[in-house]
Amino acid sequence: MKSTKFTPARKLSKEEVDRKWWEIGDFFRRNSLWMLMYCTGCCAIELPPAMTSAYDMERLGMGPMATPRQADILLISGYLSVKSLRRVIYTYEQMGEPKYVVGLGSCPINGGIYHDSHAVINQLDQYLPVDTYVAGCMPNTESVMNGFVDLMEQIRNKTAKGWVKYQENNEWYKKNQKAALGEVDVHDEFHE
Amino acid sequence: MTNSMSNVEYLKGVIGQTYKVLETDVIDQYQVSFVVKQDDVLQVLVTLKNAGWIQMSYLSAIDWPDENKFEMVYILMNWERPVHVQVRTKIDRNDPVMPSIITIYPGAKYYERECHEFFGVKFPGNPDYEKQLILELWDDMPPLRKDFDPQAYSDRKFTKREYSEDYKVLSEEPSKKAKRETRKERAESLKGGPKS
Repeated sequence: MKSTKFTPARKLSKEEVDRKWWEIGDFFRRNSLWMLMYCTGCCAIELPPAMTSAYDMERLGMGPMATPRQADILLISGYLSVKSLRRVIYTYEQMGEPKYVVGLGSCPINGGIYHDSHAVINQLDQYLPVDTYVAGCMPNTESVMNGFVDLMEQIRNKTAKGWVKYQENNEWYKKNQKAALGEVDVHDEFHE
Repeated sequence: MTNSMSNVEYLKGVIGQTYKVLETDVIDQYQVSFVVKQDDVLQVLVTLKNAGWIQMSYLSAIDWPDENKFEMVYILMNWERPVHVQVRTKIDRNDPVMPSIITIYPGAKYYERECHEFFGVKFPGNPDYEKQLILELWDDMPPLRKDFDPQAYSDRKFTKREYSEDYKVLSEEPSKKAKRETRKERAESLKGGPKS
């Protein structure tokens, strides 16, 4: 007769083990997010209060990071010109997986006040997978913080899968990038 | 150092005696604008540089499609006599060519590249005026000309987000504005007459 004190666990399949490890990984990741801030747009002005003592991003476990290779979040703060988009795509592809994109302000959503500009793209998620948008022109700091909390929630619910989408639909993204940019590779006097 | 109005007089003396100035505009005691002939521009700039206007602040073009002209503007600054000088000249719009000034002001190199990119003005004398600077892989007419339509370009080039057209009222409550107006009316009605 088998002992009732100890029942050996059912042997888990590889997928189940993987899933459990991912859950553990996601727990630590969402509590320690490092941000790469692409502060080209005016929404970047909302970040100093979010980072400093007024709202103190550190209490969510978030911090700024200097290089794309060590960052988890790519933060697009505000409008993106065609020239910047090339560099953003470079940066995004350098980041290690898993990686998340947060778009601040109305410009990455639908162009905002730059909807008719010759230099500014209208819809960021055509070119890069965006996990969270924070709407507003500009969004106030509460909503910026709320956006980050939303992202953490998404990571917990396993819905922040932008980077998987980018892998799976890479051809579609590349096609869109080509249509808007002509060529994604940067050819300027600093890259030759 | 002399006072500011005599700076303007000094400047007028430097330019007016040697060159034919088509139009002089003293905007205020710190800004003066001269319109000169296209052939005189380089000479005027050399004279001004020798007279102390050593800093070239900006170089750009203005599009006048009705006259079929581009107006080139050179803005210079003198740190001894604080006057900004604008040297203006009109050039042909169909074939805009302006000799480069990088031999006088080397810093103009990038302004000329920018001007070529945004207006299509050619600058012979500047070895890389045709190199791209801000707009990369541009495939249309120069975008700051007045007959360029940015909306059409944007529509053609960038995907627009589409929104559904159907709206519905989510809440039966009066809007904030309506509430505010009722409050205001109520406050007005409660107000007494003027204090005696």
